[in-house]
Amino acid sequence: MDGKVIVITSGKGGVGKTTATSSIGAALALEGNRVVIVDMDIGLRNLDVVMGLENRIVFNIVDLVNDRCKISQAAIRDRRIENLFLIPASQSDNKDVLTTAGVERIAKQLRKEFDYVIMDSPAGIERGFENSIVGATEALVVCTPDVSSVRDADRVIGLLYSRSLTPRLVVNRIEPARVARGEMLSHEDVLDVLSIDLAGLVPLDENVLISSNTGTPLVLQNDSKAGQAFKRIAKRLNGERDLPIQVPSVRSSVWTKLTKSFGFK
Amino acid sequence: MLKALLEKFTGQKKSKDAAKKRLQFSLIYDKLEMNDTTLTDLQNDIVNVISNYFEIDKDSLELKVKRDHDVSALVFNTPILHVKRKQA
Repeated sequence: MDGKVIVITSGKGGVGKTTATSSIGAALALEGNRVVIVDMDIGLRNLDVVMGLENRIVFNIVDLVNDRCKISQAAIRDRRIENLFLIPASQSDNKDVLTTAGVERIAKQLRKEFDYVIMDSPAGIERGFENSIVGATEALVVCTPDVSSVRDADRVIGLLYSRSLTPRLVVNRIEPARVARGEMLSHEDVLDVLSIDLAGLVPLDENVLISSNTGTPLVLQNDSKAGQAFKRIAKRLNGERDLPIQVPSVRSSVWTKLTKSFGFK
Repeated sequence: MLKALLEKFTGQKKSKDAAKKRLQFSLIYDKLEMNDTTLTDLQNDIVNVISNYFEIDKDSLELKVKRDHDVSALVFNTPILHVKRKQA
């Protein structure tokens, strides 16, 4: 049976799409799947450094689409996580070098060899976005709880629906303390505005930056709250649809319990 | 907590409520945004239909999307010159 092609997108840049892609891909591989992550941000590649594979690039997605190499040559194998592969973006080419037809053909080939093909879409809704969604069977939209990100997410959700994809939402960088103080949109607020199903909630986590500094997978750190949240999202994608959504919460101290009992949320 | 207390007594709104409200409005407006060609096409179609029944002043008509706080409306304004009599 052919694998799934999941596009991860956001519209707005800087909301943690790359972190989400690498973490969900790694977590799916840890679940025993054969996974390839494809960096579709032509000209601005990033997944290779975040995943710590930047020194092993020979070929890239543009080479693959243009028949300059085979899948086995373009896909870099991760040495820490079994069955995890990355096809990097090209750094020198222009954004418009890929055609949707070419990407669709490669996506079909990749589905035959992998259980999951994860497309990391570039920010924006232009050509690169179109290329990322052309072969997709599922879609995840990443947003953070701020007005600009939610608005862009809405636009992208509309575009995905128009391509017959029903996306699910990942709300990233939730700060429970600020949500409790009413300074930050809660995930319920975001869902009210967007009307979309939830894939998972990810708290703001200092470990994200630290793990990207060294290029180590976030999901291998058991003390990373974000890493654990991405693992749960992967499980949900991987068939455990009923796995409850965990809402990031403030550590329950006497003080917060006290304020709660007085009715201050 | 102090801030929460203050808000409770002064009746000050939480900033996230403002964010939610503003988002809800702007998302509705975003979806109503039409490009100029769509609007011109629509205007031509409307003029054609109305011209079957009325003679109208095609130069002084206007078509606009009006947006108010909670209501959006398509406004088509045209002077009628004559009513066309239908042939029996």
